[in-house]
Amino acid sequence: MNSRIFRYEVRDELLAIVREPAALFFTVLMPVAFFALFAAMFGGEGGFGAGSLATYGAFAALSVVMMNPGISFADSRERGWLRVKRADGTPLSVTILAKVVAALPYAVFTLAGVTAVAWATAGPLDVLQVVRIVGVLVIGALPFTLFSLAVGAKLSPSTSSAVLNAILIPSVIMSGLWFPLELLPSWLGKVAGFMPPYHLAQLAVAQVEGGTIWSHVGFLAATAIVGAAVAVMAYRSADV
Amino acid sequence: MEHVLEVRSLVHRYGERVALDGVDLTVDPGEIVALLGPNGAGKTTLVRNVIGLVRGESGAVRVAGGDPKDARIRRRMGVVQQSVGFPRSLTVGEIVIGAAARKGKSAAEARSAITEMGLTGLEGRRAAKLSGGQQQRLQLAMGLVSDPILLVLDEPTEGLDVEARRRFWATIQSRRADGAGVLVTTHLVEEAASIADRVVVLDEGRIVAVGTPDELRRRLPGRRVEAWTTIPIEEIRSLDGVRSAARRGERTVITTTDSETVVRALLDLDPGARDLTVATATLEDALVAITHHEEMVS
Repeated sequence: MNSRIFRYEVRDELLAIVREPAALFFTVLMPVAFFALFAAMFGGEGGFGAGSLATYGAFAALSVVMMNPGISFADSRERGWLRVKRADGTPLSVTILAKVVAALPYAVFTLAGVTAVAWATAGPLDVLQVVRIVGVLVIGALPFTLFSLAVGAKLSPSTSSAVLNAILIPSVIMSGLWFPLELLPSWLGKVAGFMPPYHLAQLAVAQVEGGTIWSHVGFLAATAIVGAAVAVMAYRSADV
Repeated sequence: MEHVLEVRSLVHRYGERVALDGVDLTVDPGEIVALLGPNGAGKTTLVRNVIGLVRGESGAVRVAGGDPKDARIRRRMGVVQQSVGFPRSLTVGEIVIGAAARKGKSAAEARSAITEMGLTGLEGRRAAKLSGGQQQRLQLAMGLVSDPILLVLDEPTEGLDVEARRRFWATIQSRRADGAGVLVTTHLVEEAASIADRVVVLDEGRIVAVGTPDELRRRLPGRRVEAWTTIPIEEIRSLDGVRSAARRGERTVITTTDSETVVRALLDLDPGARDLTVATATLEDALVAITHHEEMVS
């Protein structure tokens, strides 16, 4: 019964993307265009290769899964549409999980764009390596959707947008996704170890450079558990 | 007979403000109960408790003997809520089939609800593009797909024209004939009077009157006197036999048990009073007198 509800919830989310592709297009365009700009400005001869794909890709994926789901969740709630779903007895977990799945195409298209730019500027990349980086980033970014939904469950669409930006930008900077941590004050380097985006990026970097992955996987798994708890609590207590 | 809806001593607060202050209410199978009350009376809070969206701090709400917070119970209710905005991207057909899935019903049952609500031919249309009346019918189609034992309708005929309204109530009455209980809030008092088996009046979080429309009318002032007069409203209220008095634009509307005395007093106090009319009081006049609110708006 719940799996059938889930299928319809996911269908509704995907139809929204297919029928209003402009939202997806412009959401994806921003991080990809920035990556192209950085590559042109700082890429030099070698362009931005697999290493940049891992760190910048982590930022690009997070910027879409952190922003869009929460804002659209807040919009559905303000329309009263979530109230309809809740009154129909849709389980909280089904609504939340469908929104997480709906963030997948955003992450995939964004990373495809970033990959294309890296490929164009740095020359042919190792396909297997790219697949591993993108795979890690897509799956690793999804739990962050849960925090976005928690914000959207409580705030209006415009406030959600502002708050999510205020969470996203500092956390990606402190995680070394914009500037290498060596360029930042040393205390930030210590903080980075506690930031989930840092572990996402390091897990992707490990696909290029090797090294341990389990501490990063563990940290991201803990992030997913905390995110799920926060999202469920926020939606349960939300004024739908 | 088991009540299809039973609300017992329900208390609901928003911070300091008491929205529902010990409400008792029942709806039986095959009964239409109209919930009336002025703005802020607590009608929507009561509806939200009944459909399980919120839970009051004390008291109980039982639907078919179960808890409306329980998903299995919710799936046996059909609900039309106020101010629902449909998603921009979904069509009528997709929305009703989605509702059917949430209620454990098939796509075929969704199609028959679409037909029942006269939405045939609009299945492929985006729901957000429908007229207000069509959107109300769409919400009811979503509600009917569960073959509900209890229909909860919050201002369901808002934005409907006369013909759409007539068809709407015809559908509700046929569901009542099949044994469904109906709880409906409306600010259209005479509409409630024409379709309800029982009227419940809520004011400031309390039930202030319950009865059939005729019983409530009988409890009532009896006559409605209107006039154009300069007498202060407070002075009119203090006259013998006056149950309520209010200004409506330039006119003064008075409900009374003794229209002759009131008219005589009016003319004594203000010889210039004019445009006097005396009529049988309506149910709305009765409710105004009971709640002391000028208008029974939602």
